[in-house]
Amino acid sequence: MKSPIPRYMAPAFARQGLDAEKLIYAVHTDMQPDGSASDVYCAVSKDTLYILYGQEKIVKTEGARRIVAEYQPDRLESVPLSELGEPGCERLLTTGRLFSDHEGENKVILLFSLGYLVYAERLAKVIKNIRDGKDPLEEVALEEEPFCPKCGGRYPEPERKICPKCLDAKGLTLRLLGFFKNYRRKVFTIITVMLAGTAFSVLSPYLGSKFLIDEVLSEEGRYFGAIAGTVLLIFGVRVISVALNMLYQFVLAKTVPWIVFDIKLKIFEAMQRLSVGFYTSKRTGALMSRVTQDAQNLYWFFVDGLPYLVVNVFTLTGVITLLCILNLKLAFAAVFIMPVAVILFRILWSVFKRYHHKFWVYGSQMNSMVSDSVNGSRVIKAFAREEEESGRFNAVSDKFLETDVKSWNIGFTAFPLIFLFMFLGQVAVTAYGGVMVVRGEISLGTLLTFIAYLTMLYGPLEFMSWVSNWWARCVDSAQRVFEVIDSTPDVTDPDNPVQLPTLNGEIDVKSVWFEYDPATPVLKGMDLKVRAGEMMGIVGKTGAGKSTIANLMARLYDVTAGEILLDGVNVKQLPLALLRQNVGIVSQDIYLFIGSIADNIRYANPDATFEEVICAAKAARAHEFIMNLPNAYETRVGAGGEDLSGGERQRLSIARTIIQNPKILILDEATAAMDTQTEAAIQESLNKLQKGRTTIAIAHRLSTLRDADSLAVIDNGKVVETGTHAELLAKKGEYHKLYTIQLEGLKTINMDG
Amino acid sequence: METTTNTQMTIGLAEAIDLGLMDHDKAEFYETPGGFTGFRYNGEDYKRIVLRRATPIADPSAYISVADHENKEICVIRSLSDLSDDQLKIVSGELDRRYYCPEIVEIKSVKDKMGYIYMEMRVTGRGEAFDKNCAVKDVSKNIRLLDDGRLIVFDVDGNRYIVQDMSALDKKSVRRLEPYLF
Repeated sequence: MKSPIPRYMAPAFARQGLDAEKLIYAVHTDMQPDGSASDVYCAVSKDTLYILYGQEKIVKTEGARRIVAEYQPDRLESVPLSELGEPGCERLLTTGRLFSDHEGENKVILLFSLGYLVYAERLAKVIKNIRDGKDPLEEVALEEEPFCPKCGGRYPEPERKICPKCLDAKGLTLRLLGFFKNYRRKVFTIITVMLAGTAFSVLSPYLGSKFLIDEVLSEEGRYFGAIAGTVLLIFGVRVISVALNMLYQFVLAKTVPWIVFDIKLKIFEAMQRLSVGFYTSKRTGALMSRVTQDAQNLYWFFVDGLPYLVVNVFTLTGVITLLCILNLKLAFAAVFIMPVAVILFRILWSVFKRYHHKFWVYGSQMNSMVSDSVNGSRVIKAFAREEEESGRFNAVSDKFLETDVKSWNIGFTAFPLIFLFMFLGQVAVTAYGGVMVVRGEISLGTLLTFIAYLTMLYGPLEFMSWVSNWWARCVDSAQRVFEVIDSTPDVTDPDNPVQLPTLNGEIDVKSVWFEYDPATPVLKGMDLKVRAGEMMGIVGKTGAGKSTIANLMARLYDVTAGEILLDGVNVKQLPLALLRQNVGIVSQDIYLFIGSIADNIRYANPDATFEEVICAAKAARAHEFIMNLPNAYETRVGAGGEDLSGGERQRLSIARTIIQNPKILILDEATAAMDTQTEAAIQESLNKLQKGRTTIAIAHRLSTLRDADSLAVIDNGKVVETGTHAELLAKKGEYHKLYTIQLEGLKTINMDG
Repeated sequence: METTTNTQMTIGLAEAIDLGLMDHDKAEFYETPGGFTGFRYNGEDYKRIVLRRATPIADPSAYISVADHENKEICVIRSLSDLSDDQLKIVSGELDRRYYCPEIVEIKSVKDKMGYIYMEMRVTGRGEAFDKNCAVKDVSKNIRLLDDGRLIVFDVDGNRYIVQDMSALDKKSVRRLEPYLF
């Protein structure tokens, strides 16, 4: 239930004599003012802030395993809101503090570790609303408690409400088996044929031992002397068993690749759906491993692991049942070794799983390193760091090798010992059975059948040892595969999108805060207004937040606080497709896909005619260099294709955005890698194209932006100045400073020249 | 044989670039009544400052950047050992608040589920030891074993935890952590 006062806090406040009904909002934080750990409950009423310091005692109730917090209070502090100034939160590195700013005098109210920052920010917002006479809970997110009801742990991603800790291997397996859903008939055929084949395999030793000796070779036997028929029967059963095995392998081979194809497709689709943030938090090498290696591990599990698991479980069950039917006493003696073997196998499984995880991480690191050194080969050569790079690779490679060798060593030494142990069991059964034969309790045929079946147990138990290794790999891979598939994008389409028939292109950035990492806000309450059809230049120092605001306008990320309005509508309420169609961004990071130059230009608008492609290339001043290439527009670029210069790539990127014909064009340092002449020529084309289009141009070179309708200077995540080039120069502020520095720089170059 | 050298032509980096080291005679850190750390320097009074370590992991007491609350650097403290005792107390207090990093004294359990590592541990912050649970994503990046035997854990919330000496940690804890040490 969504409630402003978490239900476990209300009794704690009530015991302090506070009327819970009068409390408007409460949050939980974790530190005393001196930084020591504490469970701090902070609640606000319409005129007072209450801070209750104490310790929670977590009690697990029986049955449902639901946790209950018993609170042991230390002290209660009350601060009248009238004594507090404007509340705000400061993000430190691993902590944060809530403070009030009262006429320039800052006072710390709360200290907390970083995980509680989001709650402290909400508390600050409630206090601010009360001070401003607004509805206290206006624009304050009320969320369900971010704790898993089963284990009581915090959700790693509160908005997902998925507790990976409580997702068990069984659930994971069932999910994996869910991939068989679309192939029900084939799976049914596989299982039926497989079980029939196994039944015939299990029948073979019985016919070859008990039936042959007791019924055919013994004078008392019902079929005494029928040797030819029995041999034929044994041979026939074997042939049927082999034929059935071949049949199920055949059907399996036709099914499993499709299942793995489905898994790979799902991962790839999920990766496309995810927001930019996912890619910046994962290393590319690890992602590649996910799609290829993990899907491959699942493939082998489906091909080799799962079918043989079914066969062997069925064999084990069948053999044990037959042993019990033949002679219960001897059967007990024969299977007593099994629980011990299972325990030993379980221990081995956990060791294997551990080594396999290490093996995977080192493999992934090696992939990343190879990709690193290939992409950075020029830098490596330029700084003559080849040996160091090889050394780095060798170090990881050594660890990889060491883990692999250890894993195999464990297998090679531990398994023979387990089998020796099992062989001792077989010896004991032979001895005990021999005594029983001598005493006339069982026939010779029964004993030989027992021994034959014991040998048959070897196979499945041996397989169980290997399947545990496979299983370890599979669970580990499945965990990672589902992690990608289950990841929800940070940027999602709204539930009830606002449809705009046409877009004018007016942008209003209102008190926008944004951070890539929890402790480092890049934008700090930025305000910016761009009129429709206007060209706005954004300038500022490196790291001031220029590219970030461009990314937020295109909604590649979502703002942490505040809002960005497009024609008066919050971008979060607009359909993503509409936004992507109407906001074109030429970013600093240019990526060319594998394909021809024409394909790359057409990327944003695949229906564009070839003439439009040429026009876009001409507007981006790319046509000339393209025509100089032997295959012109058909030149292959991207990985393994023609090596283009930075400026050429930038021009293709501009052409790609021009052909998209967006209503809002964002040029983020789009011409930085070009000479001033080309830049001026592109500028001229863009000026023609800018009619009726809102253009945001971000540039270091201020000369590029002289003709902009207005300019905004960004510093430290805020807009510090706005105006035209002339107005800002006259102001003699930050822009003037930047302009003078660049002008002086140019003069120096000219003098040197 | 005559050899040529260009050492006289070049200028050292340290000569060319001013590191902005703090002039101790002109510097005074103080605590504001509101609980912040203030700084008087070169005739300026900064009522709220930000202290940042240049090498927070390798050498937390060296090269501390002193900046105003807009993160504009004022100067750099070369080493905390250069400060007087009372000044050190104030600076250390502010750094401890910023770089709050409880010490792990015991690992009670480590569970690996769906790409997250769940750790139940006993830690000491400032004061008594207490139990703490945390979730760690991207283990190879967020659990870092350093050459000097320290181990740093970064959890999903951005908190940090440290094991000061892995060899001093009990065997069970080490065994639980071992699969994740790279």
